[in-house]
Amino acid sequence: MTTISTEHYKNKAKEAIKDDVLQSALAGLQNRLGPATAAMYKNLPEGDELRYKAHEVRMFALDNLDMLLEQLAQKIRQRGGNVFFARDQKEAVNYCLEITRRRKAKLAVKGKSMVSEEIGLNDALIKDGVKAVETDLGEYIVQLAGEHPSHIIAPAIHKTRNQIGSLFEEKLGISYTNDPPTLTKAARKHLRDAFLTADIGFSGCNLACAETGHITTLSNEGNIRLATTLPKVHVAIMGMERIVASLEDHDALFRLLSRGAAAQNLAGYVSYIGGPALDSEIDGPEEFHLVILDNGRSKILADEEFKEILCCIRCAACLNVCPVYGKIGGHSYGCTYTGPIGAVLTPLMTDIGQSKDLFQGESLCGACQDNCPVNINLPRMLLALRAKTAEGDPRWNIKPSSPVEKFIFSIWSKLISNRKAYDFFFRLARFGQKILPTKNGEIRKLPPPFSGWTLDRDMQQIASKSFIQKWKETQK
Amino acid sequence: MIEENLNNQDRFLKTVKEAIKASPGGYRKNREELFSRLSQSTIESRLKKIQNRTRADQLKLLDLLMEQAEPINLRVMPVKNLQSASESIKELILDKNPEWGTVKKVAAWKHPLIDKLSLGDALAKYDIPVYQSELKSTDDLPAGKQMIREQIFESFVGITAADFCIAQTASLVMKSHPNQARAVSLVPSIHVAVIELNQIIENLGEFYFLQKWDPIQKKEGLTNCMTLISGPSKTGDIELIMVHGAHGPCELHLFVITGET
Repeated sequence: MTTISTEHYKNKAKEAIKDDVLQSALAGLQNRLGPATAAMYKNLPEGDELRYKAHEVRMFALDNLDMLLEQLAQKIRQRGGNVFFARDQKEAVNYCLEITRRRKAKLAVKGKSMVSEEIGLNDALIKDGVKAVETDLGEYIVQLAGEHPSHIIAPAIHKTRNQIGSLFEEKLGISYTNDPPTLTKAARKHLRDAFLTADIGFSGCNLACAETGHITTLSNEGNIRLATTLPKVHVAIMGMERIVASLEDHDALFRLLSRGAAAQNLAGYVSYIGGPALDSEIDGPEEFHLVILDNGRSKILADEEFKEILCCIRCAACLNVCPVYGKIGGHSYGCTYTGPIGAVLTPLMTDIGQSKDLFQGESLCGACQDNCPVNINLPRMLLALRAKTAEGDPRWNIKPSSPVEKFIFSIWSKLISNRKAYDFFFRLARFGQKILPTKNGEIRKLPPPFSGWTLDRDMQQIASKSFIQKWKETQK
Repeated sequence: MIEENLNNQDRFLKTVKEAIKASPGGYRKNREELFSRLSQSTIESRLKKIQNRTRADQLKLLDLLMEQAEPINLRVMPVKNLQSASESIKELILDKNPEWGTVKKVAAWKHPLIDKLSLGDALAKYDIPVYQSELKSTDDLPAGKQMIREQIFESFVGITAADFCIAQTASLVMKSHPNQARAVSLVPSIHVAVIELNQIIENLGEFYFLQKWDPIQKKEGLTNCMTLISGPSKTGDIELIMVHGAHGPCELHLFVITGET
């Protein structure tokens, strides 16, 4: 699921910042979708406050998750569907392979599903001799190029129309064009055959409804509908937290999700699927499977500090306003989940220590929370992850990352609790700073281990007199 | 396998339950209180309000629908009666060209409203077949279904009715029923839908309310597959440029029979 490491992050980020094409694409994305989503929240009849209600709806679902999942499973089974509870990605993948083997499936079509990326489904299918075709246009483009998606909703946002034109010319054998409608038509034609002949369709699940026992899928392209209606078998994979209790909870959540994801009133296609087609129906899958996945989510659920992250409905609104994502792009995050959501989720699902650059790299500006359709307090959790890195946490298998830093801070805290020591220290510092290089009265370079601080900025010098000293003098 | 599955489930849910206990959020409820309830009087008064909508109210909803339909490229055409609808649909079919090839074929649901349009007869003289997705006999169901499937795949126009139309989001609601193939609103390049004026409801909230509390809707349930369609297919995946017509239909035409005299 992840290739993240400090080296990977730094290298990819550097590459991304230098890449003018990517910078232009990211700026375009954020300049359009960021303000558009904010405007759409305002045009809700209930106003922006609907997000707080949606937050409660999601927290309610988390607090009752076991009962809701049980109800969902029971209802789907009553309709002849199959439900499998997968503890981790291995169990989930094996269940899927059992189905493709039993059905002797040769061709699978897939709707866009981050959770299927998370478990590495495509690779597993291909290794097992099943051709797995992504059908979302962005995912299709990225798959043809042999890359990973860089954005949850617009996976190929990092590619220009010219690049896509060349890619289609090479891989699809059409004559070069960079006209988006023509390129879209070419993909439409090629994928149509896949839809009509596929043996099995895979999808994710946006938000299941426990009360009625349905999963739901949202799209604009119609690819998920095609992938889950035409093939004889439909397998849906669902992160276990993607569920609401009551049917009308979808009213607020779908309107918010559509605004957060694409600044729309409602996604073009919203499907409720509760089981296979009836025998008396003409079409629809004859087999329906729902794979409910844990893969580290229960551990997050058990942590009071972090369980809020499970409210996420994967709309990517946070990516669309994050200044850091807007510079380093999705590939720097080295994992399925990118942007602010990825900066919290990836460490919690993999290893906090190894992925610390993700949350340390975020700026804590708070734009993500403001744009989040369910008002998730991402900054709070980013900070909490930093605290864990500094102080260590056995539960999350993390040792304090810098004992030296911890030591320095403990010395500092003693120093600042003693007036005389504090004054003496600053007298020394005022003197000592004279040997540091300056420009325009500001310090250009601090000595190690503080040199990182002055890599891209200058620092003010310590004033010749402290405020208290000056005050005392004016009082005389 | 089933027993194994249930043990799997028990173990899984036990882990979840323990996790919830470790981090209580204050929203935990008993099983009986999990789902929202309304008082009988609230339900009745709200149902009455919806049922007692006047024609003027319905026409206002039609206006709202048309306003919301425009930006999403959904073409809404109010027509006076069935005959008018039939004429207009016929003209559309004659006017439009297939996306691939030149042969024109049409697929349609077997549905009382669509039957009344008598499109088969209207188009017969132009040599345009109208395939109704109806399983005529129960011998060899798979072959029958396959034949209908192929007919739909060859059609360039698909004609359906709908269960509801939600004005605020300009959405058509289609549950799954026998003889109403799902592919008709999905595979052909052009989707034509026909509804009556009183099928238009106000917003998503009203829609979900009816599904939960209207006796007929409640009894039917959502069915195994229910889809809300808001406009023809589209994508913005290439440089965020909006392109109408991705994998689903490229055009969606909605005829609303207003019953005007």
